[in-house]
Amino acid sequence: MFPKRFVLKRLLLLVPVLIGVATLVFSILHLSPGDPALTIAGERASQEFVERIRADLGLNDPIWVQYIDFLGNVVRFDFGESYVINRNTTVREIMANTLPVTLELALYGQLFGILFGIPLGVLSAVKQDTLTDHGTRVGALAGISVPIFWSGPLLILLFAQVLGVLPTSGRISSTFSVSPIRVTGMVTIDTLLAGEWDMFKSAVRHMLLPSLVIGVYSMALISRMMRSSMLEVVRQDYMRTARAKGQGAKITVLKHGFRNALIPVVTIIGIQFGGLLGGAVLTETVFAIGGIGTLLVEAIEVGDYPIVQGTVLTFAFLFTLVNLVVDITYSYLDPRIQQ
Amino acid sequence: MPLPPVVRERGRLVAGGAAVGSVAAPILVVGLVVVVGVGPLAAAETAFAFGGLWFGLALLGWAGSVASGRAIEAAQERLDVGSGWTERRSRRAMARIGGFGAGMMLVAPVIGTAVG
Repeated sequence: MFPKRFVLKRLLLLVPVLIGVATLVFSILHLSPGDPALTIAGERASQEFVERIRADLGLNDPIWVQYIDFLGNVVRFDFGESYVINRNTTVREIMANTLPVTLELALYGQLFGILFGIPLGVLSAVKQDTLTDHGTRVGALAGISVPIFWSGPLLILLFAQVLGVLPTSGRISSTFSVSPIRVTGMVTIDTLLAGEWDMFKSAVRHMLLPSLVIGVYSMALISRMMRSSMLEVVRQDYMRTARAKGQGAKITVLKHGFRNALIPVVTIIGIQFGGLLGGAVLTETVFAIGGIGTLLVEAIEVGDYPIVQGTVLTFAFLFTLVNLVVDITYSYLDPRIQQ
Repeated sequence: MPLPPVVRERGRLVAGGAAVGSVAAPILVVGLVVVVGVGPLAAAETAFAFGGLWFGLALLGWAGSVASGRAIEAAQERLDVGSGWTERRSRRAMARIGGFGAGMMLVAPVIGTAVG
């Protein structure tokens, strides 16, 4: 049965979270030094010009009036136009171009982490204290410890420079004269939908290294969590009962152990998604992929407030949405949570 | 009609925080004008933004406590690493902090309008 009440409660919690993030971002930007009007006009602009921009942007209104206007705009997801980075373009348009890039990267990273982390964790738990277990644990520890800014260039060096099998940067080969038809903004999916196989292969090849870099940390964390959770579950009475009734070891682990061991791992996957979005900032920089993370860093550097507000709120919204999905998932895995 | 005890208790928490915030706002405005030397309107605007920080932080903390508080409590208990943190006390603390921020945010515009 669909847990309506539980989902509704979780959806309602989105409201204070988004108001909280919006208020925090607004306050921090107003307490930080710098004048947006001067940023737009430039250092050499006349005072009159700066004043005109200030009036146009509503910066002459008291801060409380600006705050109410800002909250109203947030509800409509309207953050106005970019001050510096892409003038006369709305933040919504800019984010529509950059958000799918980051989402694609984070999704593939997450997929990599789940596809490899869960089986490795189960394998490590089932073969506890064997060479496989030790190898997996050392690998997981290395995965958690190695920072992206180090592993990224190193993988580029190995796969692109030494072996020459994978591209170093970008999202698709520059040899293609036309861009794939934009449907989702995610190159791998758009090329697949268009049936452009050569372009699809190129997009996948370009996505491999960044996904690997961003997904290794996720994989390591998931496999460690899965291992400890599985070890706890295999010691439970119901597992022993299943074995005593003559059920095979593999079936017992997969049928009775796996689902129960998955609950804390699903929580980690949700929390991890926020880390992946943060990690995407570094990965995008290393692999020269223009996503929302790079945009945010650039916007902070040049004082493009509407972009900063838009991107931070989008990150917060995505993060809470993913955690909502996680909550619903584990309410299915363990119906007691709905209580 | 009397309010339910739960609403009264929560209202008292928020109102208590708001009362402190409404006192803190003029103190901050006077402090900024006298010590830093900014204009009264700019000081009131800074007080508003400062209150916004507390209010935003409290909203996030409160929502986080409601969403995951019980899970954190259970995890602490299970791992035997309890620090005495509870969901209920966290929600109460966040309500007070939120009230404090809201109090500042409500009084700062009044000061700003009076001096501006």
